[in-house]
Amino acid sequence: MKPSSSSARIWRITSIASIIATLLLIGGFVYAVNDVVNPVGSSYTAGDSAGSGDTGSQAAVDPATEGIRIAAMGDSLAKGTGDDEGSGFVRRTVNLLQQQGVDAKLVANLGINGQKTNQVLSSLEQSGVQHTLRQSNVIMLSIGANDLFNGGEALGNLDEQAPTAKQLLTNQPQAAARLQKILDRLAEINPDAQIIYLGLYNPFGDLKELRVPGNQAVSAWNMKATGLTNTNEHMMVIPTFDLFQNNLDQYLSADHFHPNGDGYEQIAQRIVQSIR
Amino acid sequence: MNSIWPLVQNETIKIIKKKRFYVILLVLLVLVPMFTYAQMRQAQENRTKFGDDWRTELQQAITDNQNSLGSDRVPEEWKKYRRIFIQQMQYYLQNDVNPNEPGGVTFTREFLDNSSSLFIPLLIMTIASDLVSGERTGGTIKMLLTRPVRRWKILLSKLITLTMFVSLIVVSTFIICYAISGLAFGYSGFTIPVFTGFQPSETGVDMATVHAVDQWQFILMQMGLIWFVGLTVGLLAFMVSVLVRSTAASIVIMMAALIAGTILTNMASSWSSAKYLFMVNLGLTNYLSGSPAPIEGMTLPFSLAVLGIWAAVSLVVSFVVFTKRDVLN
Repeated sequence: MKPSSSSARIWRITSIASIIATLLLIGGFVYAVNDVVNPVGSSYTAGDSAGSGDTGSQAAVDPATEGIRIAAMGDSLAKGTGDDEGSGFVRRTVNLLQQQGVDAKLVANLGINGQKTNQVLSSLEQSGVQHTLRQSNVIMLSIGANDLFNGGEALGNLDEQAPTAKQLLTNQPQAAARLQKILDRLAEINPDAQIIYLGLYNPFGDLKELRVPGNQAVSAWNMKATGLTNTNEHMMVIPTFDLFQNNLDQYLSADHFHPNGDGYEQIAQRIVQSIR
Repeated sequence: MNSIWPLVQNETIKIIKKKRFYVILLVLLVLVPMFTYAQMRQAQENRTKFGDDWRTELQQAITDNQNSLGSDRVPEEWKKYRRIFIQQMQYYLQNDVNPNEPGGVTFTREFLDNSSSLFIPLLIMTIASDLVSGERTGGTIKMLLTRPVRRWKILLSKLITLTMFVSLIVVSTFIICYAISGLAFGYSGFTIPVFTGFQPSETGVDMATVHAVDQWQFILMQMGLIWFVGLTVGLLAFMVSVLVRSTAASIVIMMAALIAGTILTNMASSWSSAKYLFMVNLGLTNYLSGSPAPIEGMTLPFSLAVLGIWAAVSLVVSFVVFTKRDVLN
């Protein structure tokens, strides 16, 4: 059986190609096994390798030319939990601003359900969080409710016990100290940004035994927060206490803790009024 | 008739002339542009949301995953994946390296990652499932066996040919993928750093052994591992093709096994002895990228051993059956 010339050519090409390919792949296989089985850790030094380094992490926005760039961080309120549309006050603020013809954009929403002050404080040391904050000129912060109300963070968990009046007050001093640290750190990371702190409301106003202690704890906290922000011209507190005081049935979502869409819309309107 | 090479040559020419290999190339040429286009659309969408700022985009992805960690409705299993993802991404951010630097090379890396447990094994089956049963279906087996060559030699020649084509398939997947996605994303990116050496542990990831390699090194490692997977699947399909008379049946058997593998990987975490099945061990590239193994206790040496044993057994079975069995039809 003498192979035809085309067969001979096919054979020559495939055999050479496959031998090269096989050797290459065996090499890769040995390399991979060795690298996975005996990994040698080494710290990476950002060199000239990637073209991504450039100005990225430093460039802060210029408010004059860039319009409003919003970053949000904090707890479930920042995230928008309870809003059927999933927008929350952050997205709704952006939308309202855009409707008014303002060049507003959401850089990122870093709100995480159930976050407390200590978690936000430690997240501020992460480079990705810092970078995001530097990309914005308005930083919205909602934090403290989970520190104060302890159990409320268990989302949608209606069996969760409401906090006692005593708890409401005992958690406060440490949380306030951490709030101060958060605000200081924010101002350090992005000194030019407008920092908007969302004041607390009392979600337990319709529970008889918690109405008064809740009100006291929340307004004490809000006073504290106002005191902290007053010292910095770039900071302000957006009050929500009065908004919810007599409208809990209207503005709270089914979990009796988070605002619903209407509640968030009210908050967003207040922010828009203050922001400009 | 001492040399095996004329037989290998014969087999190779048969595969090429029967257009089996062209079918594989054609499948790649049709599918890769589809994936490329899908990826392009996604990239565009992300760009309208985040601009060119990958750091913010990554941070948002981390936050989204963190949010799901707090939910009681997310199974513990997924939370583990997400915890690991979060830690890895934070590592990338800390070192200011974009894990998804757009480019043809990155696309190829991701494509290879996703194709190692199903797509490439399927391509290999196209050839392996037909090698012996095809001769039966076509009735050419008698012609082959009446030649003055020992049977084991015939089988060995088929085996060598199979190995050659497994290599060719893996390499052509890379070439086609790179060539086509490069059109859309650009051809650069071989020297972008990729982190490897993440060791999934109880609490998340152990970072002590993490190190950076260039992307081309990473892809070379991926391809080596995929090659091993391909060889194992090839040998299994080869055995089935010896045992079963019709090519169609042998393809269906192998395909069922492979697809069962992808289903099992998603739900077998509590059935731990499933880890001895070959089809849950096909995702070798996961050990490179550091995603957790589908079942507790699986490591690269473990998976290699499992695959190796399956391959060895199927090799033995193929040879014993092929040399002993009478050919009647």
